[in-house]
Amino acid sequence: MDWDEEYDRLAAAGQSFVERARNAPDDDDLPIPAARTINELTLPTEEETPLQQLIRHWINERSCPDILPAQEEVLVNLLDHIRSQSKTVQLLRGDASTSEDQHVRIVLAQTEMERVKFIVRSYVRTRHYKIDKFARFITTNAEVQTRLTKGELDHARRYANILDRHLHKCVLQSLPEPQAHLDDNVPFVPSMITPPDKTRPVFVHALQDCPPIRLP
Amino acid sequence: MSDTRQYGELATQLIMESRRSTQTDTLLKYNDSLVRALIREQRDLEKVAEPLALHDGPPAPALIVIETAINRNKRCLLAYHTHRTDRLRDMYWGVGGALPHILSNQDIRSRLSPHEVDFLREYHTSIMEFRADFADELDIMASITQPPKDLHALVKVVRDCGEIQTELGSINFKKGERYMVRRADIEHLIVQGYLEEV
Repeated sequence: MDWDEEYDRLAAAGQSFVERARNAPDDDDLPIPAARTINELTLPTEEETPLQQLIRHWINERSCPDILPAQEEVLVNLLDHIRSQSKTVQLLRGDASTSEDQHVRIVLAQTEMERVKFIVRSYVRTRHYKIDKFARFITTNAEVQTRLTKGELDHARRYANILDRHLHKCVLQSLPEPQAHLDDNVPFVPSMITPPDKTRPVFVHALQDCPPIRLP
Repeated sequence: MSDTRQYGELATQLIMESRRSTQTDTLLKYNDSLVRALIREQRDLEKVAEPLALHDGPPAPALIVIETAINRNKRCLLAYHTHRTDRLRDMYWGVGGALPHILSNQDIRSRLSPHEVDFLREYHTSIMEFRADFADELDIMASITQPPKDLHALVKVVRDCGEIQTELGSINFKKGERYMVRRADIEHLIVQGYLEEV
């Protein structure tokens, strides 16, 4: 029968399964080729598309407990791209001469746009969450303010204000005068302004060989 | 003798409420009576501390104890309120910023104090201003829990929501019917509970 012939052929051609399993290389520790130069390993940023850059920044932002510098140009770039792409899509959809094939492509383009929008949204909201959390710290620390966009900085100030007023209305205005402040400096008690927790552990992915770093 | 208490006992009760709220993942009712009792206690402590503070020389031990109690109570009060505002904020983002949806829900509304309702309104205004930067291309209120896999979604109408403007014209959603619509248009309705994804 055909099947039997095929089986014989296969068995004769290669090693048997047992032999192959015995000779298989250990796949958990592939040796890193030693002959890589620095040039080959560096990720040149001009070859990374804006979307890949945004994805990298998005991953960084989500795992970092601190607020990272805002990537305004990447965001603006992508938003412009999305806008022009959606305009093109609208034109093509309304045009009666587009073929069936192109309609399928339009659907794909729209799906891609939705996914890119998702990433942009997630990036913006992750930053926003951190800003809300550390609003008072931001208003008192100029270094962090350099890492925010103007809209984010405005929001941080407004939110710190709103929070202060809320606490004041609920609690502080009914307390006697010496207690009615939000910036007490009591010894042995953590400050009322919470800074971002830089001692939280994070995962890092090494892109290049780095010199050895001493960890505390 | 029924109103002699340990220092900080009321504050501990308030913190236990916060803890219970986190553990059960619900927002409990604003404990107005406990907060007021704490504020009264603070005032009494202050009255006791004032004459002690006027002594010259090293501070009396009683003064140190009372000051510590005052500071602890104050931090506990502030922590309780901050914890509640954090939960409110999370709830707000959970419904995609649909403030009327939260405020018209009697169940939730009854648990908030009037100050918290004001807080929500002011926060909403601030977010609207922030959102205006992005509004042309993208709605930052939409869901970020799952990336969209499909352009369209099959939804079932759970509650009547009337005519909704979508990209393909306006659709009248009637209870019990199913529609295949673009995800972006109806995302906010799913979050608010009018539509259910099938």
